[in-house]
Amino acid sequence: MSKTVETDSLEIFANEMEKVKGALPKKIEANPENAEKGLAKLVLTLIELIRKLMEKQAMRRVEAGSLTDEEIERVGETLEKLENKMKELKEIFGLKDEELNLNLGPLGDLM
Amino acid sequence: MRLYVYAIIDSNPEGIVLPIPFSRQKSRDPDLSGKERTNSGVEESIKGLSEAPVYTIPYRDIGIVVSDLDPQVQIETKESILKHEEVVEALMDRFTVLPMRLYTVFSKKEDMFLKVKNHYEDFVENLDRVRDKREYGIKVIWAGDIIKERIINAHKNESPAHPEQSGIKFMKEKFEKYKIDKEFEEEADRCIAIVDGFLSRHASEKKLEKLKTDNLLLSASYLVDNEKRDDFKKAFEELKSSGGDLKFMLSGPWPAYNFITLSHSVDGKFGGPDLIETILQHKDPEKKEGRDE
Repeated sequence: MSKTVETDSLEIFANEMEKVKGALPKKIEANPENAEKGLAKLVLTLIELIRKLMEKQAMRRVEAGSLTDEEIERVGETLEKLENKMKELKEIFGLKDEELNLNLGPLGDLM
Repeated sequence: MRLYVYAIIDSNPEGIVLPIPFSRQKSRDPDLSGKERTNSGVEESIKGLSEAPVYTIPYRDIGIVVSDLDPQVQIETKESILKHEEVVEALMDRFTVLPMRLYTVFSKKEDMFLKVKNHYEDFVENLDRVRDKREYGIKVIWAGDIIKERIINAHKNESPAHPEQSGIKFMKEKFEKYKIDKEFEEEADRCIAIVDGFLSRHASEKKLEKLKTDNLLLSASYLVDNEKRDDFKKAFEELKSSGGDLKFMLSGPWPAYNFITLSHSVDGKFGGPDLIETILQHKDPEKKEGRDE
């Protein structure tokens, strides 16, 4: 029994798989030289996860029409400030959006 | 000396050394009967990492397939990945195999036995589940960027013209993006349902991952009974010829890399959702192509 890889578009698939590989860091790079960055990456990843969950929940509530204009304004202002603060922190620690993710092995990716 | 572990198999050979199917040709040779699986012929054993002989350590009625590993050897290499896959593939010809995750190494045999003891029930259950089955990987690419652009353009006219408070403006922008993403995902779901409809009727289990990138519509794994493999491949061909702008890739048959489940803990030591992708990414492009049989 021999293994097959069958496609008419090998190069396209290879390129797309390369993108997936790049997007998913396999581990937290924490070592004596970059312990601070490694820790910041972990913490910011968790904050980003919570921020995105809050944002998604807010969108669902807007969609369901369960927020008044005043509430939307307050939630929007809060989420905007959180997003700006995250941008600042990412710049300080030299982290890109795609780095703020974790591969949880059999559980898949965090985000 | 450390032990590098390749797989668990559904066989408990006598003795501690098992020369296993050295090549596909040899494993098909009728002369290679059970008699050959003895302690003799270590030099014929398939070679593992650093060209060390691969052998089996029995535990109750299952076997742990390992090779010795020098502490100095660096294992996180392309060669190791390909060697790991080569060993598992050779095993697959003769046994039911639970492949280990890449780079599974134990410093002491006792640690390995403890791990196997803790997961023994899981192993037996998994071996029963994947017996006489093979995994196939399916990937589907669609023009995700174009589809998204179309959705964005359709939403452009809905944007408000009048100035608003900062919070509301922010929320409206976010809500637009949320609606676009949602619509994009719904369209992906519709396409995936069609693709999966063709294939899943020939599979006993499946795992689907949607939109790993905007263009990679589907990364799926199907566990297929050996007797249904031809039907599955026919369904794939049918799908490919009627798939319009979609592009398809089929890989396999693989051992059941993505269908091994551990009930007692999740320590990431077995199988692994990205193992097939990792293997494919490290194979040379010319080796990626080929036809079965």
